Amino acid sequence: MKMTGQCLCGAVRFTAEDVPHEIGACHCGQCRRWASGPYFAVRAGRVSFEGEDNLGRYRSSDWAERGFCKQCGSNLFYRMIEEDRYMMAVGSFDDQSGFELARQVFIDQKPGFYAFAQETKTSTGDDFFARYAPAKGGR
Amino acid sequence: MTERSGGCLCGAVRFTAEVGEEFTACHCDMCRRWGGGPGMGIHGHAVHFEGAENIARYRSSDWAERGFCRICGSSLFYKMFEDEKYELILGALDDQEGLVMTRQIYIDQKPGHYEFANKTSTLTGAEVWALYAAPDRE
Repeated sequence: MKMTGQCLCGAVRFTAEDVPHEIGACHCGQCRRWASGPYFAVRAGRVSFEGEDNLGRYRSSDWAERGFCKQCGSNLFYRMIEEDRYMMAVGSFDDQSGFELARQVFIDQKPGFYAFAQETKTSTGDDFFARYAPAKGGR
Repeated sequence: MTERSGGCLCGAVRFTAEVGEEFTACHCDMCRRWGGGPGMGIHGHAVHFEGAENIARYRSSDWAERGFCRICGSSLFYKMFEDEKYELILGALDDQEGLVMTRQIYIDQKPGHYEFANKTSTLTGAEVWALYAAPDRE
């Protein structure tokens, strides 16, 4: 499904293709430090941006960068560089209906002081690295 | 209250603050659009920043601004202009031991695709306004 979204101030808008209903939440320490809480993301196909001058990209690891609006600070995406895969922030989409929380990743880094009521598939940090960065040990 | 330290992902902004143990989760449209998911914030008093020149502040409403690192985009705080205290983003704290979610606000703006299992008090947007709004805000 093609979906649109934007940051809080509107300086960056995007159109994402092939957006599924299933979303994931990441509990890793990096995401929780970067975003305002656990990071809700959806894996998109092709993404195009308007206002790209306002888009900041921070290379947070060897394999990924994090995109944000330089005007308002909205956390917009986590992008896997080698795959050129955007994990778009769910809250940025104009239409919030129709999403379903299907999985939680880095569940081993989730602090005990919150939990979701939804039962979902879960995976750990090791599962992530085994899948995406088998040669790498760090973050 | 204890003094805790924290900072953004890239380390350009660091802070110390006096914080308690109770924190709030906010489900409002603005926080979810800004922060990639429901925001978790904790009151911070006597907040001191290092690398303050790397903090960008976005005036998101007439009464508040949102601070973030201009280098890495980390969400740092929500601050009402007329208040000395910061609502610090929980995830920015280095030590998150002993914290408890006691309140959820803007529960009426929460989308249906998630909910917390935590038992807390909850406030709608209107109830938050009634609690905090000065008479001349309406």
